[in-house]
Amino acid sequence: MRSVSVVGIGETKIGRFPDKSLRSLILEAGSKAIDDTGIGREDIGALFMSNFNAQSFSGQGHLGPLTSEVLGLGNIPTIRIEGACASGSLAFRQALSAVASGMYDVVLVGGVEKMSHQSTEAITAGLAGASDMDLEAGLGATFPSIFAMIANRYFHEFGNVREEMAMCAVQNHENALLNPDAQMQKRITVEQVKNGLPIAHPFTIYDCSLVSDGAAFVVLAATDVAKAVSRKRLVEVVGCGQAGDTLTLSSKKSMTTFSATVQAAQQAYAMAGITPSQIDLAEVHDCFTITQIINSEDLGFFAKGAGALAVAEGKTAANGQIPINVSGGLKAKGHPIGATGLSQIYEIVTQLRGDGDARQLKKADIGLTHNIGGTAATCVVSIFRGR
Amino acid sequence: MEKRGTIYTHSVVHSGTEAFQNVTPYVLAVVEANRTKRMARVEGHTDMTDITIGMEVTFLKNDENGDPVYTFAKLSS
Repeated sequence: MRSVSVVGIGETKIGRFPDKSLRSLILEAGSKAIDDTGIGREDIGALFMSNFNAQSFSGQGHLGPLTSEVLGLGNIPTIRIEGACASGSLAFRQALSAVASGMYDVVLVGGVEKMSHQSTEAITAGLAGASDMDLEAGLGATFPSIFAMIANRYFHEFGNVREEMAMCAVQNHENALLNPDAQMQKRITVEQVKNGLPIAHPFTIYDCSLVSDGAAFVVLAATDVAKAVSRKRLVEVVGCGQAGDTLTLSSKKSMTTFSATVQAAQQAYAMAGITPSQIDLAEVHDCFTITQIINSEDLGFFAKGAGALAVAEGKTAANGQIPINVSGGLKAKGHPIGATGLSQIYEIVTQLRGDGDARQLKKADIGLTHNIGGTAATCVVSIFRGR
Repeated sequence: MEKRGTIYTHSVVHSGTEAFQNVTPYVLAVVEANRTKRMARVEGHTDMTDITIGMEVTFLKNDENGDPVYTFAKLSS
């Protein structure tokens, strides 16, 4: 397998843009990524396009050719990839393997989602399709309620971490204040989180990630090609793992350890030849506050049951032992489903290049992205190293 | 079929999907019965703040979709 590097990144601001079309989101983020590379669009060999549910939210399918047309990519092969909230990182992994295998030298990976123009009920129903329609959504389960059940089980097994969950939200909002692309640039307090609008006990509205529109794109190239054209610090993809799990919550061996995360992470660490303690920063899937805590344990940053205390002790803060979600995460940067995995990669590459401006970390040489779909039923973990 | 089960985990849903607007808030749980776990709605709650893991529930009916509904109430049979 050939070494592969990121040569271009681009994203829109994440937010509620009911008047912006899928086309305009794609055009903005895709053009930024291509212009960032120093490679002409005629050198792009294929497009891997991620989208969760434009078919339901906007009636639009066939996102591959739509994107190719908008970006002027001619007759290159395109494919649309879906894996719920992990769609973006799944598309990234497919693109990675296409370059690593030698099939293409340069490929474009994109993700887009547009949902804020729909009612909350329509969005909740559209998202519920990533759970089991018969065994879960059909009896009234929503994603907040599924992860709320995970939180209550976690409390039962490891103690009540309501306070620390709230701190997670506060910290991600704090980080987003320094990210111009973040949707929610608003400081919040632990009390506000705990006393917010109840969604599914123990979650309030502040424990939940945002309803977002946005797009993010990444250009990948064989590292030999990248070296010749890249104008910025080269960011090599040194590890990538993917694992799955059952679709439904009740069928999982454990609700408080996400085995898809554990296994995808093990693969990625082994491929990169590193251990969790060598990671300088991570973007960790935080669809809900408890999700970030559980995943930070399953990624090996903290022992099982110790993830909440780590947040309280500041270990995950921007100046902590392992900064998590310096972008603001899904909670505050936003969660444009199909674009989320690529938006995480955008942040890591930005940091490794030293382009993080006000939020730039002092040490950013090795970064990790972690992205799950549904009830942790699909997981991709990727590791990046600045050269 | 075993009529009794225990709550493995649960949540009180305050913001449901469109189809469940008229019964919101409602209790969702993963119920363990016959050594298998299954998601179910649980009815008959008077105080939604005192539901705990391990609490015993009784099978009440299958709803119109064939999904199980349990109750906190003690049924006389």
